[in-house]
Amino acid sequence: MRLLKTRLRVQMTLAALMLSTSLMSTVFAQTAAAQTTTEGRTILERVEDNQRAISDAAFNRIQLSSCRFGLQNNQITCAERARVKALESVSINTGANNRDTRAISIVLEPAAERGISMLSYTYDDASQDNETWLYLSALGQVKRIASGNSDDESEPASLFGSEFTTEDQDTGKLEDYTITILSEGTESGREVWLIETIPNEKRSRSTRYARTVQYVDKERFVVLRADMYDRTGREIKRLMASRVEQVNGNWMARSLTMMNLVANRLSNMAILEINSGVEIPETFLTPRTLTDVAFREAELQRIRAQVQ
Amino acid sequence: MENRLLVLARLFAAAPGFVVRYRILILAIVVLISIFQAIGVATRTRIDISTDSMIDQTDPAIAALNAFRTQFGSDDSLFLVYEARDGDIFSARSLAAARALTESLRDWRTLDASRYDADLQELDQIRRVQSITTLRVQRVDGDTLRSERLVPDVIPDDPAQLAVIRAQALAEDDYRLAFYSEDGRFGALLIQTTFGARPLEGYVPAVNADDISLDDAFSNFGGDGGFELAFDEQATIDEVSFELVDMAEYKQFFTAISAVLEDYHSDFEFYPAGNPSLMSWVFDVLQELLWLAAGVVAIFIFLLRALFRSFSAVFWPIITILLSLLWSWGITVWVGATLSTMLSLTVMLVFAVGIADCVHVMSAYFVFREQGHDHAASLSKAYEKTGLAILVTTITTMAGVLALTGSELIPIQVFGFMSALGVFMALVFTVVLLPILLSIWHPAPAKAPGASLSARWLIRWQALPFLGQTAMIVLLIGVLFTAAGVAIGFYICLTGLITLAVLRWQSNILAACPDWAQRRTGTLLGVFALIFGASVYGTSLVKIDSNVAELARETSAPRIAYNMVDEHMAGAQTISVMIDTGASDGLLEPAVLKAMEALQQVIAERYATQISRTFSLANIVKDTNQVMNQDDPAFYRIPDDAVTVSQLIYLFNSANPEERRSLVSDDFSRSHITLNSYNAGSYEYQQVMSELDSEIVRIFAPVSAMFPDLQVTVTGSVPMMMRAMDEIAQSQYSSLLLALAVISAIMIITLGSVQAGLISIIPNLIPALMTFGLMGLLGISLDVDTLLIAPVIIGIAVDDTIHFMTSYRLELIKTRSMPQALKNTVQDVGRAVMFTTMILGLGFAILGFSEYLGIAKVGIFGGLAILVALLCDLFLLPALIIKLQPRFGIKGELESFSDAAQSTITAPGNPSGRS
Repeated sequence: MRLLKTRLRVQMTLAALMLSTSLMSTVFAQTAAAQTTTEGRTILERVEDNQRAISDAAFNRIQLSSCRFGLQNNQITCAERARVKALESVSINTGANNRDTRAISIVLEPAAERGISMLSYTYDDASQDNETWLYLSALGQVKRIASGNSDDESEPASLFGSEFTTEDQDTGKLEDYTITILSEGTESGREVWLIETIPNEKRSRSTRYARTVQYVDKERFVVLRADMYDRTGREIKRLMASRVEQVNGNWMARSLTMMNLVANRLSNMAILEINSGVEIPETFLTPRTLTDVAFREAELQRIRAQVQ
Repeated sequence: MENRLLVLARLFAAAPGFVVRYRILILAIVVLISIFQAIGVATRTRIDISTDSMIDQTDPAIAALNAFRTQFGSDDSLFLVYEARDGDIFSARSLAAARALTESLRDWRTLDASRYDADLQELDQIRRVQSITTLRVQRVDGDTLRSERLVPDVIPDDPAQLAVIRAQALAEDDYRLAFYSEDGRFGALLIQTTFGARPLEGYVPAVNADDISLDDAFSNFGGDGGFELAFDEQATIDEVSFELVDMAEYKQFFTAISAVLEDYHSDFEFYPAGNPSLMSWVFDVLQELLWLAAGVVAIFIFLLRALFRSFSAVFWPIITILLSLLWSWGITVWVGATLSTMLSLTVMLVFAVGIADCVHVMSAYFVFREQGHDHAASLSKAYEKTGLAILVTTITTMAGVLALTGSELIPIQVFGFMSALGVFMALVFTVVLLPILLSIWHPAPAKAPGASLSARWLIRWQALPFLGQTAMIVLLIGVLFTAAGVAIGFYICLTGLITLAVLRWQSNILAACPDWAQRRTGTLLGVFALIFGASVYGTSLVKIDSNVAELARETSAPRIAYNMVDEHMAGAQTISVMIDTGASDGLLEPAVLKAMEALQQVIAERYATQISRTFSLANIVKDTNQVMNQDDPAFYRIPDDAVTVSQLIYLFNSANPEERRSLVSDDFSRSHITLNSYNAGSYEYQQVMSELDSEIVRIFAPVSAMFPDLQVTVTGSVPMMMRAMDEIAQSQYSSLLLALAVISAIMIITLGSVQAGLISIIPNLIPALMTFGLMGLLGISLDVDTLLIAPVIIGIAVDDTIHFMTSYRLELIKTRSMPQALKNTVQDVGRAVMFTTMILGLGFAILGFSEYLGIAKVGIFGGLAILVALLCDLFLLPALIIKLQPRFGIKGELESFSDAAQSTITAPGNPSGRS
C-alpha cells in the first residue's frame, strides 16, 4: 500500500488523482490517543497512516476548475468563468507491503480531451523507474512514456493545466524534512497545529518550496490549509481545504483550492465522488484497458455497479 | 537700450563694493544655508540607478512586458557562450565540464562558499539553467515515446559514441545555434534569472488581509455530476508590481557567476553576453567615471593655477562652484526629487559654467591689476566688463537645459531643473560670494619679471644649450609614455604644450587675430562657409541610434562576447511576441498556431540578417505530430482539428512539463514566440519592431475575428530598452533644436539687433553642426548619451560667443569705433575665451579615456566642439563683423572699418584707428 501524504508525488497526470486523495487527509476518529502525540513528525505520520484507508481500491470522480481569482466582499472568488476538467480514476495498491501503486485515469471533460487515458505504475523502490502509458483518443495511439531518467531529475508538472503541480507533492519521505510545530491556532473555526516542514539539501533540489506551513486539524487530522514559500521567503502558493466531511467514517476535505499568489490563479479540486474498498481486478490496470474500449467499458460498468 | 545696458554694466561694477560692505551678513547667511543644504544632501539624497527608471512605466508595452514576466518569469537572461579549450564541445572532457558547470550553477547552494571570492547568495537570482547537458530530445522507439537527454547520464569515452551525440545534437534544428555552434567549437548555457520579476519589497498579497475567506461556491456541489463555479467579473484582482532592477544587482550577480566560472577556466574560455553581464560592465565603467571626474577637476586646478599664477585664483572659484553644486543638489533633494546617474552630467555642467564665469571675471581682473589698478578697482571694473555677459550666458544655458524638462521621463526632468538651478547658483555666487572671498585673500600684484620661482626656472631652462633642452624633453616624454601609456602620455604632452604656448604667446596671438581677420576676411569666410557646408551635409547623414554592444570599445569584454555570439551562435538578444488570446484554451485552436507559424515564416524569410531563430508552441505541436505519426516528415505540420492539437499538447505537457510551462500559460490562453536576434542598434530594432507590428495585424486578422480580446504584442527587456533609448534620443534631438532657437532669440534681444543676433548664431551653430557633421561623416551614431550631453556642450560653446558679442557691443557704445571695439574685445575677451576653452576642452578630453564609449564620445567630440567654438570666436566672428559691420542698434555716428581703412591710408602712423 502506498503512503500518501500532504506532499505526495506521482508521475505526471495521474498525480492529480492521487493528490486528491492524499490531501484529503482523513483520519479515523481515534483522537484520544492522538491528542497526546504533539510532536510534528508524529502528527504528520498520523495523517499519512490514516490516509491509507481511502487510497486503496478506490474509484473516484473528480472535477478540476481553474480561474483567475480576485476578492469581492472579502471573499476569494473566481473573476472569470472557470475552465473545468472532469476525470474518473481507479487505483489499487500492490507490491511488497502494498507500497506500489497502479492507477488509471480517464478524462471525461472537456470534449477535446475526452477519452485521453493514462495508466501509471509507481514503484516505491527508487531504483525502479515509474512507468506511464498514455492513450490519445484523437490519434488512437498508445505511447509508453519514458523519461529515461531517475526520479530526482523529473521536473514539476502542472496537473491537467491546473495550479496543482507535482511539486505540491513529493515522494519525499518525512525523513527528508525538518519538521517543527510552530504554534497552535485556529483555522476555519477549528483548532489546528501549525507545522513547518523544511526540505533537506537533497530534497530541496527537486522542489521550489523552501518551506511549507501546514495547518492540521487537531481533532480530525485533516490539513485545512498549507502555505508554500519559495527560497526568498515569499509565499507563492496557498492551499485552502473546505467541505470537511466524514465519508465512510473517515474525515476528509472534499474541496481543495490551490491559489497561485504570483499569477493570481486558482484551481479547485472537487471530489465529486469517492469510493474506497472497491473490488478492482489487477488486469484492469494494464495497457490493454487503454486501447480495448470494449474491455474498458465492461470493467468500468462493473466497478460503477459496485458503488451505486 | 544701449543706456540700459550701460546701467546694467554699472550695477555689476557696483556689486563687489556692495557685497564686500555687507560681507559678514552675507557670509553668515551663505554658511547657514550651506549647512542646511549639506544636511539635505547627506540625509535626503536618493539616487535611483535602476535601468527601468529611464523607461516610462505607463507605456502599454511595459504593461505587456510585466504581464509576460508574471506569466513566464523574467526574460532577462545571461547567455554564457563558451569555447572548448580542446576545440570540441562534444569531447568527453568538455561535456563533463559543461554538466558540472550546469549543476554548479543550478545547485549553487551545495558549493563550498568559502572557496569563492564572491557572495554566492547572489545566485539566488538564477531561475533556470539550460545547457547541452539538460536538453531533451523526443523520439519514438517502438511503442515507447522517449524524451531523453541529448547527453546520457554517463558520458561515454568511446569516440564513436561521442560522434553519435554530436550528430544527434547537430540534427536538432531547434537547439543548434541556441546551445552549440555548427562547428562544435562553441557551446552556450542559458541562465534565466528573476531580474525584473521579483515583487516589490514588502508586497503583501491581498488574500493575506484579515477576514478573507473562500467563497462558499467552492464547497457547494452535489455528489452526482459536475457543477459550475460561480464567478464575479467585478472581483478585484491583486496586481503584483515588480521591483525595479538596480545596476548594482547585476554587478553582484555577475561577480558571483564569474567566481563559479573560475573553476572551469582550464576547460573553457567564456564569452558572457546578455543584460546581466553588460550591465555589470557598465556599472564598473561608472565607477571608473569617478576617477575620470577627479582627473577633470585636477586638470581644471592645474590649468587655472598655470594661467593665473595665483592659488587664490584657483581656490575661490573652486569653492564658488562647489557651493553652487551643494545648493542646487540640496534644494533638489529638499523638494523631494530622486536623483539619477545623470547627476554626473549636472556636476559637469555646473563646473563648466562656473569655471567659465570665474575665468572671465578673473581674467578681466588680472588685466586691470596689470594696468596698475588696485584690488577693489580692478574687481569693480572686471564685473562691469563681464557681468552682463555672465548674466546672458547664464540665461541661455538655463534655457538650454530647461528645454530638457519637456521630456516625459522624470530623471531627465530632474536633470533639467537641477542643472538650471546649478547654473543660476553659479551666477549668484560669482557675483555675490566671489568678491567677498577675494577680499579675504586675493592675488598679489603682478611680480617683476624673474621674481617668481617658475620664472627663475624658465631663465635656467633658457640658459641650457639646445642639445641639452632636446635631451631633457625626449627623456621626460620617454618616462611619461612608459609610465602612463601612449594615450595618456600624449594627452599630458599636448596639455603641457598648449599651456606653454598660450602662456608664452597669448598676447601675440590675440593681437594678430583682428588684423588677420581684416586682411583675410574673404578667405576666412570662405573656409568657414566650406566647413559649414560640409557640416550640414554630414549632419544630414547622422543617424540617431543607440547600440548596446557598441557602448563598449572593440577590445572590451562585452563587445568581444557580442561579436562572438553573433558570429558563431544565434545572437544574444531576444524579442518576444506575446500572444494573449484572452480566452482559456485559445492556444489549442489550430488557427492561432497556424498564424504563429505564418508569422515565424515571414520573419525567417524577411529578417534573416537580424533574427537568427524563432521558436514557439507551433514548433512543438508540429514536432510532436511528426513523432506521433511514425516520424513521417509529412506530418511536420499543425493538424487541422482542435482535438488533435489539444491532445498533442497534452502529450508534450506530460513528457516535458517545464518546457511546456515556459512556452504557454497553464490555461492555454497565452503563449509567446521567441525571436533570437543579433545585436543591432535601436534604430534597426525600432524598424523591425514596427514592421513586425503591421505583419502581426495582417497575419492575425482572421484570428482576431475568433478571439475579440486577442492581443499580440512585441515585447522583451532588450527591445523595451532599445525603444526607450530611441525615444529619449529623439526627444533630446528636438529639445536640442529648441534650445538653439531659444538661445538665438535671447541673443537677438540682448544684442538689440536682429542682424547682430543672426551674426552670433552662425558661430554658435558651427561647433554643434561640425560635431554632428563629423559624426555623420565618420558613421558614428548619435546615441542617447551623446544627445544628453549635447546641450551642455552647446551651452559652453555659446557662452564664449556671448561674452564676445556683449563685450563688443559695450566697447562699441564706449569707443564708437568698430575697429577699436573689435581690437579691445579680442584682447580682453579673447584671453578669457582662450583660457576657458583650454580648461574645459582639455578637461572634457579626459573623458575620452573612458571605457564607456557613450562618455568617451562626449569627451572627444565635446572637447573638439569647444575648440571649434574658440576658432569661431577668434576668426569667424571678427571676419563677420568686419564684413557686415553691424551697428547693434546703436544710433549716431560710428567709425566703420572702411572709415578706419581710409584713415589708415591718410595717416599711416596710426594703423589701429582711434585709441
